[in-house]
Amino acid sequence: MTEQELLDAAKAAVVAADEEKAIEVARQAVALGLDPLRVINEGFTPGMRQVGDLFERGTMFLPEVIIASEAMVAAVAILEENLPAEQKEKQAGIAVLGTIEGDVHDIGKGIVATLMRVYGFKVHDLGRDVPLQRFVDEAKSSGAQLVGSSALMTTTMVGQKQLEKLLKEAGIREQVKTMVGGAVVTQYWADKIGADAYAENAQEAVAKALELVEG
Amino acid sequence: MGIIRTRMGDGRAVELTVDDIRADIQAGTEEAADRGRIPALTGNEQEWLVELFCRPDRVVGVEQGHEVVLTDDGSVNALYGAQSSSGVGVPVSREMGIRVYERAFCMDTMEVGHPDYSFKPVRPIVALEQQAMESTLLGTIIPMYYGAMPNLALYARPDGPFPNPADLLPAGRIADARIAQEEAAEVCSRDMVYVARKMWEVGADGINFDTTASAGDAEFLATLRAVEQVAGTTGLSIEVGMAAEFVLGMHGEVEYQGTRLAGLYPHEQVRLVEMAGAHVFGPAVNTNTRRSSPWNVSRAVTFVKACSQAAGIPVHANVGIGVGGVPMCETAPVSMVTRASAAMVEIGRVDGL
Amino acid sequence: MGGIRTAGDLVARMQLHRKMRLPEAKAYVADRLKVSTVDLSDEVIMRELREELDIGVITSVPGAAKGLAAKARIARLLDIRVNSVDVLKEKMELGS
Repeated sequence: MTEQELLDAAKAAVVAADEEKAIEVARQAVALGLDPLRVINEGFTPGMRQVGDLFERGTMFLPEVIIASEAMVAAVAILEENLPAEQKEKQAGIAVLGTIEGDVHDIGKGIVATLMRVYGFKVHDLGRDVPLQRFVDEAKSSGAQLVGSSALMTTTMVGQKQLEKLLKEAGIREQVKTMVGGAVVTQYWADKIGADAYAENAQEAVAKALELVEG
Repeated sequence: MGIIRTRMGDGRAVELTVDDIRADIQAGTEEAADRGRIPALTGNEQEWLVELFCRPDRVVGVEQGHEVVLTDDGSVNALYGAQSSSGVGVPVSREMGIRVYERAFCMDTMEVGHPDYSFKPVRPIVALEQQAMESTLLGTIIPMYYGAMPNLALYARPDGPFPNPADLLPAGRIADARIAQEEAAEVCSRDMVYVARKMWEVGADGINFDTTASAGDAEFLATLRAVEQVAGTTGLSIEVGMAAEFVLGMHGEVEYQGTRLAGLYPHEQVRLVEMAGAHVFGPAVNTNTRRSSPWNVSRAVTFVKACSQAAGIPVHANVGIGVGGVPMCETAPVSMVTRASAAMVEIGRVDGL
Repeated sequence: MGGIRTAGDLVARMQLHRKMRLPEAKAYVADRLKVSTVDLSDEVIMRELREELDIGVITSVPGAAKGLAAKARIARLLDIRVNSVDVLKEKMELGS
């Protein structure tokens, strides 16, 4: 198997949510002495990106996304064992997520949390109907780089503006990036309240989150 | 006709050239065609949309003779409700509100509904709701539905007795999450059927299962099963309105009559809704807030046209805040509401809105 | 279509009760009312006709059929069953 064929196989294994195959490909890569980071970045990660796209288009479903992510995690664990020490246990970032107080909608935010975990974030999911101060407290105690809030109602989206203020008052606004989302939220609203990013859907939320922590 | 003032999906004004509008309309229909594996709008239809968006008129309409039925959902929440339901807070009773809809707004149908607007909270107060229906039926002429949402999420913790899939799935407990959804769907279905039968007893014309599948494919299954039972045991007219353009795969494996429900688009949804025994189908196509209204309307109409063609029952497309090409903002510009509506009628070939 | 200002409620009833698509529903109602399908959305024609048929009009006219009375007449006109009318008949032991 050529290196390119192996990278393709890695991608295909994740898209097929086939954990056994993903592990087999990872072991083959190690046996062939390939650069583990390259296999992760050019094989498994594009596979996961495709999974996200398929989910966003309604052709792949949440349980399959979870299984695909488990396949990727298992394969990456094997490759990571062969990484140089300084590259091991690399984490995309720490994020605090929740739905604003007064809002019980949980599904969209839950999907974002799931996909962010898949992409290597350590996610502190505070759930729904979360008092604003809890976002601040959790961001402080976890050392989060990202604070994401979701609002599905026009009555609760104002809480996102208040959250920006509370983060400033707590003196941590400069240390964290903020993201907003939810059915009634728009880029215009994000700009207006001074949030760092807005995402239209879960896949875009992950892409924006990665941009924010890497940027 | 150089620069056209139109709108973005979040409602803000934007100035585009005619060529920009034409390009957005083409991109919108192609996006829908690609996603739904359905035909894009024809060249003539796209040009019709270009002309629609380039008209200087603030308000547009359909050709005489092309008028369609207007069905309300959400009861009178928009009238007496607060901001959470985009309500304007007029202090009227439900019954007074419905009279206003019939005699001042000239709706073709109307519905009685509770402010909570979900079947689960209605069940324990169904007697109150029956009386509201009885009282309304005495003085109104237009067909009267009872409307509420299946809202499967209310059956999961902390609001209900079943484990929450949003907790189980990230933990990798897929089988448990699936079982929880299947069990919740059964109870949800039972509540929907119970309320529907109670409304039939007191004389309602129909039942509206509104914002269906908001919690995904298991909720859609709950609705289809409820439709079957209501159709088999009452003479109610059944309307099924959707929450989004495709059925979210929170379960991923539930099927109805051999068809997997997750990922179905409107032209596929309507076939199952019809098979279950419903009388009217309401497709919903989401608005993208960062694309223009020409893009959004073109995209929405492409889905709805395919749905109308596949349907054997009347199709009443959802055209409201954030759906059907209408911008996602509380005070939706009338210029875009009327353009989206006209496009749904003239190109989408809907039977109602 | 304009509800009881025109013939919107009647066309809606054919969709709701008989699952008729729009052209069929309009054709059915037009046939029963002996008008054209375009007339169904004509406020002037329909106002006169609704008053003449006594099936409910948009303005408040003393003595004109309202509520259940109008629906009972609509059921007969369109040859359909209207649930609230049937419930009333049952209460009055009139048979449906």
